[in-house]
Amino acid sequence: MSSVRLLWRLTAMNVMTTIEYRGAFLVYMLNNVLGPLISLLVWLTVSEQGVALPYTRSQFVTYYVLLSVAAMLTSTWIGAFLVEDIRLGNLTPWLLRPAPGILSYIGNNLGEKAVKLPLLLPLVAIVAVVFRHDLRPPTDLAAWGLFLLCLPAAAATAFFLDVTVALLAFWLDDVRGLLRLQVLVGAFLSGRFVPLELFPPELASFSLVQPFRYTLSFPLEVLTDALSQRELWLGLAAQLGYPALLYGLYRLLWSRGLRRYSATGA
Amino acid sequence: MGSASDGRGGSKPMDAVSVHNLGKTYTYHHKAAGFRGSLVSLVRREQLQKLAVDDVSFSIASGEMVGFLGPNGAGKTTTLKMLCGLLYPSAGEAAVLGHTPHRRERRFLRQIALVMGQKNMLWWDLPTMETLLLHRDMYDVPEREFRRTVADLSEMLEVVDLLDVQVRKLSLGERMKMELLAALVHNPSVLFLDEPTIGLDVVSQQRVRDFLRTLNRERGTTVLLTSHYMDDIEQLCSRVLVIDHGRLHFDGPLASLVEQAAPKKIVRAVYFRPVSLGALRDALGDLTPAEHYDPLRVSVEAPRDQAAHVAASLIGLGAVADLAIEEAPIEDVVRRMFVARALEAAR
Repeated sequence: MSSVRLLWRLTAMNVMTTIEYRGAFLVYMLNNVLGPLISLLVWLTVSEQGVALPYTRSQFVTYYVLLSVAAMLTSTWIGAFLVEDIRLGNLTPWLLRPAPGILSYIGNNLGEKAVKLPLLLPLVAIVAVVFRHDLRPPTDLAAWGLFLLCLPAAAATAFFLDVTVALLAFWLDDVRGLLRLQVLVGAFLSGRFVPLELFPPELASFSLVQPFRYTLSFPLEVLTDALSQRELWLGLAAQLGYPALLYGLYRLLWSRGLRRYSATGA
Repeated sequence: MGSASDGRGGSKPMDAVSVHNLGKTYTYHHKAAGFRGSLVSLVRREQLQKLAVDDVSFSIASGEMVGFLGPNGAGKTTTLKMLCGLLYPSAGEAAVLGHTPHRRERRFLRQIALVMGQKNMLWWDLPTMETLLLHRDMYDVPEREFRRTVADLSEMLEVVDLLDVQVRKLSLGERMKMELLAALVHNPSVLFLDEPTIGLDVVSQQRVRDFLRTLNRERGTTVLLTSHYMDDIEQLCSRVLVIDHGRLHFDGPLASLVEQAAPKKIVRAVYFRPVSLGALRDALGDLTPAEHYDPLRVSVEAPRDQAAHVAASLIGLGAVADLAIEEAPIEDVVRRMFVARALEAAR
C-alpha cells in the first residue's frame, strides 16, 4: 500500500466533500481572514489616537497580511470532528480498515487547505491592495526560505496539538469545552490577536516557550527578521521539537485511548 | 443436539474464528434523572460495571455461515466488535484467522470485513464509487480484479446504475447493498454482519439474503451474522449461537434449537364440513385446544412424538381439505427460550 497514494485519495475525497458545502465552508473559513483584519483595524485605530506603540503602522499592516496567509496554511479544524467521531462511535470504519486512522484526518486537514487557499487568497489580495502604501513584504530570500521550511512544521504542531486535546474524548465525556478553550487561548498565544513581541514583560518569556507560538507566530517572526541569531536557533529547535513531541503524545494517547473505545452505536 | 456446554472449544487449523472464555465488562457512571442528578454527578460519580459478555467460547469453521441470536443488549454486537478488533476483551481470548483481533494487524484487517446495519462505511456526500476506489487503494486490489469484482457484485446486488449516485441520495435498501459492496471489494475471508437487513423492505431483505447465500457458496466466505429477523437466520444459517445476558446458551444446528426450545409441533387440519367440539374432545382428550375453536380449521399443539397420532385422529373426524404438521415459528421458539431464561434468572 502506498501511504502517499492513499493520502492523495483521502485529500481528494475531502476536497470533493468540502465543495459540496462550499457556502458553509466559505463562511466558516472567512474567520481566517477576518480575525487578522479586525485585529489590524483595532491597532490602526489605536495608532491614529496618537498612542505610542512599539510597531509602526507599516509593521502592523505587513504583520497581519502575512499572518492571514500563514494562518490559512497552519490552522486546523480537525479536533471537533475527531471528538465527535470518538463520542458517537464514528471512528469504527477507520479502525476496521488496514490503514492508520489518523490518515483520514490528515487528508481532511490537507483537503481543507486545498479548498481554502483559492477561496481566501483573493480576499487577502484585496486587503493587501487596500493597504498597499503601508505593506512592506520582506525581501530577504533566505528569510522566505526559512519561513517556508517552518510553515509545514507549524502546521504539524497545530494539527497534533488539536488531535492531542481531542483524543481526551476517550477519557472525558465532553471535551468540546476544552477544544473551545484551546482555540481561544491558542488564538491569543499564537500571535493572532497581538504580535507576541508586544506582550507585557511578565508574559514575554512564557510566550517564547509555549507551543502555540510554533503554530503560527514563529514562522512570521523568522520572515520579518525579528529574531537574534540565538533566538532563531533556539526557536528552530522548538519548531521542529514540538511536532515530534506532540506526535509521540498522539501515538501514546491513541493506543491507550483505543483500549477504552466503546464503538458506540455499531 | 447442540448446547452451550458442548460448543466446539478446541482450536482446529480449519477454524476461521475461535473464542475461549471471552468476556467484556463496560465501566460507566450512574446519574440520577433531572438537574439535581446532574449536579450530584458533577462532584460525585458512582462507577458501575456491566458484564456484557461473560465466559463465551465457540469456534467457527472456515466457510461456515453462523447466526448469532439474542435479544437487545444480550452481548451479540459486543462479541462481534471484539472479533473485529474494535474492542479489547476484558477476559479470555479470541482468534480470527489465526490473529488476535485487538492487535489490529494490517494482515488481519485485510482479511475481514464488518457490515453494520446502523453504521456507514461509505462517504455520505460522495458517490459509492469514491469509497470503492479508496478501498481499492487501501487493500491493494489490482485494477483488473477491482473492475471485475465491482462489476460482479453490483450486478448481483442490482445496483450497477447507482454507483455514481451520492450515498445520501440512495434509499436505505440501496445504501445497505452499497455497504455490502464496499465491504467485499477486497474479497474478505471472514465477513461479520450486524443486523444487515434492519429497516429494509421485504424485497430488499430477500435480495440481500440471496446475495449472502451466493457469496458464501461461491467464494467460501465465512459469515457470522446477527439479526432480529428470524427469516435471515432461517434462510442463511445452518448453525446458530444463542446469547443472552452475555452468556452463550446454545450452539448447534437450528433444527436442534427448535427441538430443544419447542418440544411441540403444530398439527393443522382444514375440513370440508364443521367438526364439533365434542368430537374433537373425544378424539384428542387433553390435547384439545383450550381456546380459539374454529369448527372448520383445527390447530393442535402436540408433543413431537404424538404429532403423527394426532394427525391420524384429526383425519378420522371428517373429510380433510388440508393437513399439515409444522414446527413452531422460530420467532416463538427464541422468544420462549428468552422468557424461560428470564424467569429462571428471576427465581
